[in-house]
Amino acid sequence: MSIHFTIDGRSVSAKRGESILQVARREGIYIPTMCYLPKTTPNASCRMCVVEVEGVSGFVLSCNTPPVEGAAIRTDSAALFKERQNIMKLYNVNHPLQCGVCDKSGECDLQNKTLEFAVAEQSFATKEQKRKNKKWGVLSYDPYLCIMCEKCTAVCNQVVGSEALYIKPGGYKSEIDNHYSRCIQCGECISVCPVGAMASSDFEYSANVWELSKIPSACAHCSSACNLNYEVKQIGIESGRGEQKIYRVTNEADHDALCGAGRFGYDFENSVTCKDETAFAKVIKAFKESKSIRFSSMITNEEAYVLQQLKERHGYRLINPEARAYQKFIRAFSSVSGASLYSGDLKRVAQSDYAVVMGCAISSDNPMVRFALARAVNNHKAYVGLFHPIEEEGLRNIVSQHLKHEVGSEEALMALLCETFISAADKVTYGALFDTLDVGYICGESSVGEEEIERLRRQRLRKKAPVLVLGADLYAHPRAENIAKMAGLLERFGGFEVVIVPGDTNTMGVALICDLDNEALSPVVGYNAPGDCILSALGGRDLDMPALNQQEGTFTTVNKEVVPLNAALPYHGYELSDIANALGVVSKHVIDFTCKLPQHKGYRAITFDDLPNAYLNHGEQVRGYALESLHVTHNDDAPEAIADIEEYNGTVLYRCNPISQFNLFTDKAHQIVDRAVIMGSSQFADAAKIKSGEEVAFEIEGQRYTRIFKVSSKLKGTVAYHPDFDSFEKSAAYRYQKVTFERV
Amino acid sequence: MSKVYFSTWRGESINNIGKAHDAWEESSHKLPLQYNEHAASKAFIGWDGVALFDVDVDVVRLATEYAAQYQVYSEACGRCAPGRWGGRILYDLLDKIARGEGSHSDMEHLREVSATMMATSKCEIGKTVPKPILDLMHHFESEFATCIDQQKASKHYHSDVNYIAKITAPCMDACPAHVDIPAYIEGVRDLRFDDSLMATRQTMPLAHTCGRVCPHPCENECRRANLDSPISIMELKRLGADYETDHGFGFFHPHKQKKSIGKKVAVVGAGPAGLTTAYYLALDGVHCDVYEELPVLGGEVAVGVPEYRMPIDKYNKDIEAVKDLGVNFILNTRVNDEMMRRFEQEYDGVMIASGARISKKVYCDNERPEITGYWGAIDFLDRINLYVKYGYTLTEAQKKEYAIDVDYVDLTGKTVVCVGGGFTSMDVVRCSIRAGASRVVMIYRRDEKTIIGNTTYEEYHEAVEEGVEFIFHSAVAGIIDEENVLKKLVIDRFELVPDPSGGRPQLQKVEGASFEMEADYLIPAVSQSADLKFVPKEWALEMTSWGTLKTNGRDFMTSRKGIFASGDCEYGPMTIVNAVGQAKRGASVMTRYLQSGEITLSDEEIMEDHLRKMRVYNKKEKVTGWMPGVPRAVSEKLDVETRKDNSQEVNLGFTQEEAIAEAERCMRCYYIAMVAH
Repeated sequence: MSIHFTIDGRSVSAKRGESILQVARREGIYIPTMCYLPKTTPNASCRMCVVEVEGVSGFVLSCNTPPVEGAAIRTDSAALFKERQNIMKLYNVNHPLQCGVCDKSGECDLQNKTLEFAVAEQSFATKEQKRKNKKWGVLSYDPYLCIMCEKCTAVCNQVVGSEALYIKPGGYKSEIDNHYSRCIQCGECISVCPVGAMASSDFEYSANVWELSKIPSACAHCSSACNLNYEVKQIGIESGRGEQKIYRVTNEADHDALCGAGRFGYDFENSVTCKDETAFAKVIKAFKESKSIRFSSMITNEEAYVLQQLKERHGYRLINPEARAYQKFIRAFSSVSGASLYSGDLKRVAQSDYAVVMGCAISSDNPMVRFALARAVNNHKAYVGLFHPIEEEGLRNIVSQHLKHEVGSEEALMALLCETFISAADKVTYGALFDTLDVGYICGESSVGEEEIERLRRQRLRKKAPVLVLGADLYAHPRAENIAKMAGLLERFGGFEVVIVPGDTNTMGVALICDLDNEALSPVVGYNAPGDCILSALGGRDLDMPALNQQEGTFTTVNKEVVPLNAALPYHGYELSDIANALGVVSKHVIDFTCKLPQHKGYRAITFDDLPNAYLNHGEQVRGYALESLHVTHNDDAPEAIADIEEYNGTVLYRCNPISQFNLFTDKAHQIVDRAVIMGSSQFADAAKIKSGEEVAFEIEGQRYTRIFKVSSKLKGTVAYHPDFDSFEKSAAYRYQKVTFERV
Repeated sequence: MSKVYFSTWRGESINNIGKAHDAWEESSHKLPLQYNEHAASKAFIGWDGVALFDVDVDVVRLATEYAAQYQVYSEACGRCAPGRWGGRILYDLLDKIARGEGSHSDMEHLREVSATMMATSKCEIGKTVPKPILDLMHHFESEFATCIDQQKASKHYHSDVNYIAKITAPCMDACPAHVDIPAYIEGVRDLRFDDSLMATRQTMPLAHTCGRVCPHPCENECRRANLDSPISIMELKRLGADYETDHGFGFFHPHKQKKSIGKKVAVVGAGPAGLTTAYYLALDGVHCDVYEELPVLGGEVAVGVPEYRMPIDKYNKDIEAVKDLGVNFILNTRVNDEMMRRFEQEYDGVMIASGARISKKVYCDNERPEITGYWGAIDFLDRINLYVKYGYTLTEAQKKEYAIDVDYVDLTGKTVVCVGGGFTSMDVVRCSIRAGASRVVMIYRRDEKTIIGNTTYEEYHEAVEEGVEFIFHSAVAGIIDEENVLKKLVIDRFELVPDPSGGRPQLQKVEGASFEMEADYLIPAVSQSADLKFVPKEWALEMTSWGTLKTNGRDFMTSRKGIFASGDCEYGPMTIVNAVGQAKRGASVMTRYLQSGEITLSDEEIMEDHLRKMRVYNKKEKVTGWMPGVPRAVSEKLDVETRKDNSQEVNLGFTQEEAIAEAERCMRCYYIAMVAH
C-alpha cells in the first residue's frame, strides 16, 4: 500500500514507514540537512529539513514526518530559505574560525551549508563556555567544534550497539561524552561527524582532505569485506616514483558501517621496491618440486582460481584446513537444505525480529554480525538468543537470552533446536536423529535447561523473520558435518534463514573455487601459510607478495556477494600471476580471471571492470554481484543420531581475538594496538589458580605459547579467550582446547 | 475569574494600565494570584502569554528571568539548533538590556531570534518561550527603551524577587502521576529504552503496569488530538519496561538510591499506592516495612486485574524494582488497631494505602449475601486471579459457598449476570467468559457511549467480541431464590428522558418493560468502599462523606500528624495511576516531614497544583508546524478465538516499527510556566 503525494509538483509515492525526506532523496530531490543520518532514526535536531505543506500552517519537519495521501510538499521557497539561513546563522554562533587547521575543512557540512545559505556575517554572539577537548584512543573530540547533531551518539547506540557515546545535556553547554569502557574503538562516530568535532587522533593535522585520492575497495580483514575507501596521497619526491601512502580509510558512512579494523587497520602493505629475480627463480624451482600448496584465505577469488588452475595443470594438493572445514560444512548443509548456499545474509539479520546465534564470537569473528544484531534489536525489537559458553557483559543490550552452555555440546544443542522448531510431520523422515534424541540428557550435559529452551521457543511465536547465525566454532567442531545437516534441516523445515559466517576474509571464495585436499604431501609451498618454501605478503620469507591493499581482485563475502577490491598502493615485486605465468597458467593481470570464476558454483561471467561499486541515492549498495544459489538434489544424507557429549573439564581456552585484531596484518597496522593476552573471568582465574598479570606457558596442537593472563570483569564463565592473531600458522581445529598452564 | 493588571494569557487582551484598581477588567482564567498561603503572586508568565497582578512588576527583568528559566530547562535538553543557540542568545541579550548595557539593535536581534525559535524549535517549549517575551517587549516597549536609552538597570534588577518556574506539558498535567511523558517517548524515538524507562520511573514505578492497564487520562489531553488523534501514550511506556525485562538488566532507577537517613515508615497495603510510597521513600533513603493482608504482593492489580490484561510476571517485575531498593514486605498480615497504635510509636511515619476492597451492593429486592450465587466482584476476582496467577485453589468451604465442584472457578454451563459499567465489571464478565460460562450478561443503567467513556473503547469492544451480552438502560430490581440458591433476576428497563430545563437527561423506568432472567450468579460490580476498621477509633481520623480518609488532596496527611493516606482508601475506588500520583506526592511530603517535622510542598509541587487548576491543555488551540492525518499506531491484539478460553495477554504491544512511528508523532509539547512572588 503506497501513499501518493507530490514534492515540488512532482508526483511521488511513499512506502509505509518512509518519511518525506526519504522519498525526496530516493527521487533525487534536494532538501538540506545537518543532522540527518540515513542509517539511524532521525535526530530531528537541526530543523534544516523543514518543508511547506499546502494547507498546513507553519513548516513541517521532513525527516520524521511520513507523507499523507494527497499532500503537496514544497521543499524550497523564500521563507524556507530565510528560515534555513537563520538556522545556519545560529550554527555559526561562536563556531571557531579555525578552518585552516581543521581536519574537516573541505568536506565539512557546516562550511558547505554556510556557503549555500550565504551566511556572510555573524550578527549574534553569546558568552562562550569553557569546554575541554577529549581524547578517547583512536578518537579525539573537540567540543568547541561540535554542533550537537547527535549523529555520533545515534550510530554508537543504534548501529554499533555499544552505547558508549552519550549526550551530556546542558543546553548551550551540551556536549558529547563517552562511557569509555564500552567503546569498541570502531570510529563510526568519526565517520559520521559532519564537522571536525569527532576526529581521528591519528589523522589529525596530517593532510588536507582535498589532497587525498579515494580508492574504493573492500576491507580485507573479515568475511564481510565491507566497502571502504583507502585515501592516499603522494609522499615525498625523492624516489621519483610518486610513492603513495594510505592516510586514512573512509566509507559511505551515511549508509554503511565499518568496524575499527577496517577503519584503522589499513597500513599492512608489503613495501617492496623492486622485483627480486633470484628469489623468484628459487620459488619457481620450489613450485616445480612441490606436491602441495598450503595457503590462507587472505587471498582474492582470482588468486584462488589461479591456485585451482595450478592444481588442475600440475596436480598440486591444495591445503587450506580452515576453508576445507567450511567447504565440508556448507556441502553437508546443502545436502539437506537443497540449495548450494544458505539463504540468509547480514542484511536479513539486521532486519530480523528473532535471531538464534551459535558458535560465533559475535563481536570479533565478524564485527558486522554484531552490528547487524544491534540493528535488529534496535529497529525491530529482535529477540536474540545466543548460545555460547562465555558471557560478555558488553553484549547485554544486544543479547536477550544468553544460553550459556558447556563446551562441546554444540551438536546436541543444534539437535535440541531441531527438536524444538521442526514439526512432528517433518521429523518423521529423520528418525535417525529424532527417535533417539534424549532431551533430558542434552539439557543435563549441556547445562542449558529445558525452561531456557522453552523460553526461546515461546519468544519465537508470532515472530515474522527468524534467522539462525552459525559461526566458526561449529565447522571446526569434531561433529561438524552432522551439525551442518541439522542446520540444513532448520533452514528447510524450521522457518529460519540461516547464515554460516565464514571464518576468514575469503573463506567462502576459496571453499567455492578450490578443490581442497585433506592432507598435504611434502614438499609444500606456503602462501601466507607455513611450508618448505614460503610466499608472504608480510615479507621476510622466501618471496614477497603483495598485501590485499596492493591487489586488484574480488572477494566472496558472508553476504554471498562478489565484491571488487582495488589496489590502494602500488606493488613493485612479483605477484601470484607472475608465478602462474611461469608455470603455464597465463594471464596478463590476475583480474583477467574474474569473469572465469566457476559459474557452476554461482559466479557470473562478468569482467572485473564491469563490476559496479556505488551507492544509490536512497542508500542501496550496488557493489559487485550476488552469487546465485543453486539447487542441490537431496541425497538422503540425513543427519544421524548425535554423539555423546564430550566433557571439557579443567582449563579450557577459546581461540578468539580481541575486537579489531584478526591476524598479523591487523597487528601490523600501527593504530591497532591490542596485545595478545589470555583474557578470562575471575571465575576462570580462580579455577585455573592464576592471577591477573601472571605469565603462563601452555601447548596447543604441539605449538607452545607463552602469554600474559588478564582478568576481565566483563566476562563470565569458566573458559578464557586465547588470541591467535599474532600467529603465522593458524589452527583450524575446534576452537576450544584443554590446556595445562605452567607458570613462567 | 482573576483580577489582573495586565494579561495576554490565552489570547485575552486585558490592559488596565493607568486604571484604578476597582475599575480593573478581570481575566476569565483561573490564574495563580496567590502563590501559597504565605505569598501573593506578582506575575504569571507562560507559554501562551503573560499576566501581571501588580502594577510594580519589573517587566524587563520578568522577561529576562523567563528566558533564564528556559536556560535552566535546556540544561536538560539543548537538543535542537534553534533552541540551543536561540535560547542562549535570548537570555544573553535580555540580560544585557536589563542590566543597562543594551542597544536598540539588541531588540531587533531578539525579534529575529524569536522568529526562528518559534518557527522551527524541536519542542513547544522553544516555540513558545519567545511568545510572552515578545508580548512584554510590545506592550511595555518604553520600559525596555528606558533601560537602553539611559543605560541603566531595570527597576528591580537588583531586588529580591522569587521567580518559580515549572516545566509541564498537557499530557504531564493530565496524568495524575505527572509522568514526564514527552521524555519517555523521546527515549523510544532515540531507541534509548533505558532512558525511556528512567524518565517514566521518576514519578511512576509501575511501568509495566501503567504501560498496559492505565485508562490513560493523558490521552484525553494530548495536544496531537487538536491536529488528528492523540498519541498512544500508554502503550509507548511498555517499551522501556519490556527492554529492561527482556534483556535481564538490573533495574534502571531514576537516580541513585540515597544513603539511609535513619528513618523508617510503615506502609499498610502492598497495592499500587503502597508500592509507590515505598519505592520513592526507599529511593530517598527511608526504610520501609510494607504490611500486606494477602499472601501475594500487588494489591488489587494482582488479585483484581486479570492475567489476560496484566500478566503477573510483568507486574512482578515492577514489584521487584521496589524490592530492589531494599523495601521489606510482610505478607499474610492483616493490620489491626493494636498494630496501628504500635506503628505510630515505632515508626517515624505511617502511610495507609489499604485500598477499597468491599464490593458495594446493587440495592435490589431480596439482596442477601447468604444467597448462593450472589458473589461480590472483589471476592470473585480474588478467587479467579489467585488461582490463575498463583495456583491458590478453592477451599472446601469456598467450593460449597460458590456451588462449584472443582477446586478452581469453573463456570461451565452457568449464566453469569454482572451489574456494573466500570473496569471491575469488565474484568468480571471477561473472566467469566474465560471460566467457561455459557452466558455472560452485563446489566448497565446507561448507554454504550457512557460505558466506553467509563472504561476504554478497546475494553468494551474486546468484551463484545468475546461474547459478553450488554443490556443497556437496565438494572437488577430483585433476586428470586429457591432455598437460598439464586435462580432468577428481575430486570427493570429504563429510558432517557430529556430534561426540559436543559440539564442532563434523566433515567426513567419504563413501566411494564421489566422481565425475568434465569441466572446462576449475580456479581455486583457497582463500586467498592474502603474497609478502615483497623484504624484506631480514638484517633478519630476525619473521613469524607463517602467513607474514605480525608486529606487536603495536596500533602496527603490525614487529620493526625504523621499518618498519611493515599490511593483508593483516600480517594475512593479510582485508577492505578491516581493511586501512584497520590502516593508519589505523599512520599515526597513524608520525606521532608521525616527530616524537618514540617508538612510542606516543594515549589515544584505547588506549581504542579496551580497548573492543574489552570489546565495546561487547551482544546481550542490550533496546532501549526505539524502534518495532520498521520495515523495513530494500533498494536496487534490476540484474535478472539485464540484468547477467549485462556489467560494469554490480549494486547501484543507495539512492534518496534509501530513504536518508533508512534513516537515520531509526539509533538513534545513542553511548556514553561513561571510565577513571580
